[in-house]
Amino acid sequence: MAPLDPHALDSEAFLEEVHSFEFWFQAVEGYLSERPYGHRPDLPEPELGDTEREGLITTLCSYCVGETIALEGASSMVGFAPNRRQKIFLATQVVDEARHLEVLLHRLLALGVTDPEAEIARRGNRNLLAFKRRLLEFVAGKDWEAALFAQNVILECMEFTVFQSHARTADPLTREVLEGIVVDERRHMGFGENDLGRRLATAPHVRARLAEVRKELDPLVLATFEETQSALGTPRANRSTLGRDYLATVERLGFDA
Amino acid sequence: MADFLAAYSIQNWLESCPQGYLEGTEYGHEPNEREPALLFDSPALLEQAIQSTVQLVVGERCALAASSGLINAAPDHESKRFLATQTLDEARHVEIFTQRLYDLGVKKDALESTIEHYANPHLVRFAEVLLEKVDKGDFIAGVVGQNIVLEGMAFSVFEMMKASSEQLNPKFAHTLAGTIADERRHVGFGENRIGSLIVAHPEKKPEVEKMQKDMSYHMLATFSLAFSQNADGFAAGQKLASGSREWHGTDLTTASPEQLEAVLADTVLHEFKVRLGRIGLEYQTPAIS
Repeated sequence: MAPLDPHALDSEAFLEEVHSFEFWFQAVEGYLSERPYGHRPDLPEPELGDTEREGLITTLCSYCVGETIALEGASSMVGFAPNRRQKIFLATQVVDEARHLEVLLHRLLALGVTDPEAEIARRGNRNLLAFKRRLLEFVAGKDWEAALFAQNVILECMEFTVFQSHARTADPLTREVLEGIVVDERRHMGFGENDLGRRLATAPHVRARLAEVRKELDPLVLATFEETQSALGTPRANRSTLGRDYLATVERLGFDA
Repeated sequence: MADFLAAYSIQNWLESCPQGYLEGTEYGHEPNEREPALLFDSPALLEQAIQSTVQLVVGERCALAASSGLINAAPDHESKRFLATQTLDEARHVEIFTQRLYDLGVKKDALESTIEHYANPHLVRFAEVLLEKVDKGDFIAGVVGQNIVLEGMAFSVFEMMKASSEQLNPKFAHTLAGTIADERRHVGFGENRIGSLIVAHPEKKPEVEKMQKDMSYHMLATFSLAFSQNADGFAAGQKLASGSREWHGTDLTTASPEQLEAVLADTVLHEFKVRLGRIGLEYQTPAIS
């Protein structure tokens, strides 16, 4: 039997298909099997200098903060998602975010960090914590549009951009871990884009609301990039690229400022 | 604690569940399996199958809301990660039991009205008691309610349903086998994680025990209504069975609805007492009005 092409389905059947456990499982099976903790077991631990290792640890600590935000945001949204399909999709996202957190913690342990939670508390990016507070306010208010935009568009675009960029220059082991995460982020962004896109088509006034949310969160994202790149040792002259990539990704999804 | 929680990692879950006992399944059963034709020949049997599956959907929706809602309240990363796997397990259960309703002929646009029509009001109240704790961010009460009481009940209900289905409905029996394996993991986490928290927070005991008492009351009322309402369906199913099918000392193919209710209630309550005892709580008998 030929594999199912979800894009050949009508709109309702498409959503039923792509927001299911079955679809998630088929999607992740390919790139997660035989990659415990996100990488091939035979990849050797790279030799890093002290400065490089320290920078990587600080960066991974910030990634852990981001993934914890995503885990807490996505799990809280399950409770007030408007329908069963969205709840099931968010449940798959919850386990993706938890997996990201786990593989990053595992990477920190491999880099010699003995108490990752304490290290994250010490080194985690402060701008991300401000982002988290705002996202959880949207969640506490059961504000579906704002929470979904902050979580599945802004936060996921930020992670997608930074992980993709970092993967290009990372050591082979970190690169493989990040590439596995990026594939998931793409799926999460697609969910946000699809849901909000449908809402915007029938309720254009929502666009102004989302632009307000974006105005509030963009500075936190850009400040996070600055801090992350500083830790990674990116030359100051090259740092604006990441911000531009992020802004372009959000706009490409149809959410202009 | 960290060592025991390592056994509940995402990696272990991936290897044992999606890449383990669910490998090759479709909605929890083998891809070529179908609901048996005889189910569609008996209106009483079909209605009983829809009615009982609706209760499974109601219970699993509650479990999904509870496990996802407890992630933010969890005190450590390991517990958050375990609850993430449980969230997806529960979402899968919602999906496979919803799919069973479709397989039984419920139209997609009639799903919610069918659930509303058949949902046992006592089960709805049982869920509300638990979700009140979850909404307050009460991790200890939430995990006891979810992973000991709700999952303990689900575990025995699924086992009984599986035993009743194995002969006539292998598709449903296989679906239940995967959920039973999941529930076993969830109950294990509840017992292991909460024991130490109860020791550290003895002041929580009276409140948690009161919740268990309330939930047990609504659970017993759920069983009572379910077995008294479905007498025709049970009788129709028993007529089709050949030979005996023993479960906890009761022959499921000949027992009366009252006997079926009694063996299920006794089994669940026995499990509660054992599991609550392991985490340092004493089972509270609900007052029967």
